[in-house]
Amino acid sequence: MSKPRVAFFDFASCEGCQLQIADLEEEVLDLISIVDVVSFREVMKEHSDDYDIAIIEGSINRPMDEERIKQIREKAKILVALGACAAIGGVNKIRNQWDAENVKKDVYGDAKINDNKYFDVYPTKAVDEVVKVDYYVYGCPINRDEFKKVVTSLVMGKKPEIPTYPVCVECKKNENVCLFELGKFCLGPITRAGCNAICPTNGSPCDGCRGILRKPEIECIQDVLDRYNLTYEEMKNRCIMYNYSKEECKNE
Amino acid sequence: MANVKIFSKKNLDAFVDSLIQDKKYEVVGVKSKGKRFAFDTIDSAEELRLDYDITILPPKKYFLPQYEKLMNYSLKEKFDVKPDNENKPRIIIGMHPYDIIALQQTDKYYLDEQKDDFYEKRRKNTIIIGVDIQNVSEHSFASSMNTHFTESGFDLMLTNIDNKYAVTIGSKKGEDLLNKYAKVDDAKLSDKEKINKLRQNLVSKYKKKVKVSGGKSWSSLLVANYENSIWAERSSKCLECSSCTMVCPTCFCYDVHDDLSLNLADGQRVRTWDGCLLKDFTKVGSGEVFRNDLKDRYRHRFFRKGNYLAERYDFIACVGCGRCAVACLPNIASPCDVINELSHFGGEDKPDKYFIKQETKIDEKGTIHVPRQATIKKIQKLTDSETLFELELNDKKPLGHKPGQFVELSIFGVGEAPFGISSPPSNEPTFDVVVRKVGNLTSKLFTLKVGDYVGIRGPLGNGFDVKQFEGKHIIFVSGGTGMIPMRSLIEHCLDKKNRDKYKYMKILYGAKRPSDVLFQDKISSWEKCKDVTCKLTVDSCQNGECWVGSVGLITNLFPKLQVEHIEPKNTMAVIIGPPVMFKFVIKCLQTLGVPEANILVSLERRMKCGVGKCGHCQINGVYCCKEGPVFNYSQIKNLPEAFK
Repeated sequence: MSKPRVAFFDFASCEGCQLQIADLEEEVLDLISIVDVVSFREVMKEHSDDYDIAIIEGSINRPMDEERIKQIREKAKILVALGACAAIGGVNKIRNQWDAENVKKDVYGDAKINDNKYFDVYPTKAVDEVVKVDYYVYGCPINRDEFKKVVTSLVMGKKPEIPTYPVCVECKKNENVCLFELGKFCLGPITRAGCNAICPTNGSPCDGCRGILRKPEIECIQDVLDRYNLTYEEMKNRCIMYNYSKEECKNE
Repeated sequence: MANVKIFSKKNLDAFVDSLIQDKKYEVVGVKSKGKRFAFDTIDSAEELRLDYDITILPPKKYFLPQYEKLMNYSLKEKFDVKPDNENKPRIIIGMHPYDIIALQQTDKYYLDEQKDDFYEKRRKNTIIIGVDIQNVSEHSFASSMNTHFTESGFDLMLTNIDNKYAVTIGSKKGEDLLNKYAKVDDAKLSDKEKINKLRQNLVSKYKKKVKVSGGKSWSSLLVANYENSIWAERSSKCLECSSCTMVCPTCFCYDVHDDLSLNLADGQRVRTWDGCLLKDFTKVGSGEVFRNDLKDRYRHRFFRKGNYLAERYDFIACVGCGRCAVACLPNIASPCDVINELSHFGGEDKPDKYFIKQETKIDEKGTIHVPRQATIKKIQKLTDSETLFELELNDKKPLGHKPGQFVELSIFGVGEAPFGISSPPSNEPTFDVVVRKVGNLTSKLFTLKVGDYVGIRGPLGNGFDVKQFEGKHIIFVSGGTGMIPMRSLIEHCLDKKNRDKYKYMKILYGAKRPSDVLFQDKISSWEKCKDVTCKLTVDSCQNGECWVGSVGLITNLFPKLQVEHIEPKNTMAVIIGPPVMFKFVIKCLQTLGVPEANILVSLERRMKCGVGKCGHCQINGVYCCKEGPVFNYSQIKNLPEAFK
């Protein structure tokens, strides 16, 4: 069986998720024993447009991004969204709270950028808002173990099993003291697991980087918020960092 | 009263330290973790906090670890599987009585007739040193459950009296440990009285009390209130995080998955905790979720504790530790609160209504996890989506199954799933499974070739008791893939050796489209048999498709049944098919006059372990994999989850 050809691409992102893969160090040898990496700008200079699996980091922000991701989609048999920016829009979507033109003005002031396609930004989109995504590797950054699981699954021809349950499950298995008890506001109860609860295990409340599974209605969560002296508004604000959604704001 | 010795605080510390220094055992004790406590390996007696109120997780993590390697496999060889043998003896110091009782309950479940060998190994290898409760956790209601003290289940039990520790010897193992490592004095009668007094005084320290307690009192209260609105009201606050089940000492449902090394050379089959509050808990390969409403999942947890296990084993599977209440953010998890709320409604009902008392006969002794090797002998495409695999056990022994039983089929690196056996019982070492490509395992199976190896566990489950059919007419009703296990039963009944035992047979079969009809050649041969009628129907038939049967739902076949061949009162009916089919077919059979007690059904659920342990296939108090998948309709018609 010939090894699947894998190419990495980056859009609006910090490239930290690809760095996680570069950081596999000696395990990279195992990785390239099961796949041919034909494009990976962060670690190699070679590039090929002949690939089976495209792994996309970053969100889509400009018409030129959209064109590029569509071309990649056409070439790839399997397209994987890598990390929060690609999978759910992530931190880039914070910007969507404001009008794109105002944001530009705020950031670039009077600089002449109007005719420059590189600055032609529209509200941030996750990759699946533009093209079909076959599989997701969630997280900011991704969890290397989960990435390995996704790659081995794809090579084995099986669908990667990504948790549909919240971070609390993994956090409890790690026997952490609940961060709510310590006065911290953690999104673990409503965020997709798969990170092995790395943040709460190390004392930082979950920010929801792997996506919110179900945003509870105010009636559902009011008691919890009251008990811990929090407001529904604060909960929504906590969700903005990785899970801003315009539709939801419209409904309010 | 049991043999009691006395430790000075200094001698107790010396005892613990010498156990640690001996390095023969991993010594585990209760340590502080922030403001809370946890069981962990200890390096010195100083770390021990025997005055703790409650640990975050129960000590079940030492018997059923969060992630437990069951076996290692190599993918370089065709079938190279080795059960995990990690086996260091362990001493757990500081288990509270309620946790010891929870462990005794787990024993009943895991060391029943289908023993879990991994659990058993850990259990045998662990010495338990309990400690009487000194500080009561604010959410605990152990005194209501009578679990605030225990007379058994430990090797040694420590009790703090007047700045010293009394140690009650519970077993020979415990006694030997004391003889070898400890310096103790004999206890005076007054010390023993102090232990009793301390336990009696403990009761008053509990702020949380259950209004209904003792024996199976929860059981009838729960059954009477199955449809109570409190389930919907309380679950409306539920965040579905399943923390309640994770921290529970008597929640022991699990999932199993295959991990792979990055170079795909080898991997591990891993068991991990699962929780019935999670939506995908009941999800089967085809995507169906059997407990979809959060309300139902929320209720299930309480019923499992207070009714389902209570009826099965005569104990309430809640020890009142209150960990769920500590963990639950919306504070809706405590059984104490739920039972107290229900007690206002009261009500009595038949407490064993949702449970079937049934002896399960286990033919296969030995490991319940590690599969046997089997070779693919033949692959035959039956329809566009179904393929038949003829398998042979590599030990060349017949599978020894009954019609209606199933096997768990493994492909290492992908996983394991249940498949109904399609061939009739035989003395040959081969048997058939028919597979529809729906998930990971089935997709992988489709890529295998003749000569490849798979793993097989089984035969599992309760098959058809063909004796019941003797001297009777039989109506076989199959829908879709229900024909796969039905073929086993039909061919068994039509076998020359058996045919005379049964009267007229009617075979009704519904498929989606003509091209989906399974076993066309077999059906033609059945039709030719004496005293057999076959009636087929399809949901739809497109132009140009060749089809001589009916078009429409399977229920349409019933009015066309010629009753002259059969006497409904002396007829057995068997139904296997998709969940939606049962209700309607049963109605037709009843209209025909077939007695309820003569209707047999085979149900589909997520039968992950196949041996009544993992909890996924539960239909109210019944394990589909163990008490089923074949049920008598009259037995399960009152289970609300059976035909929902």
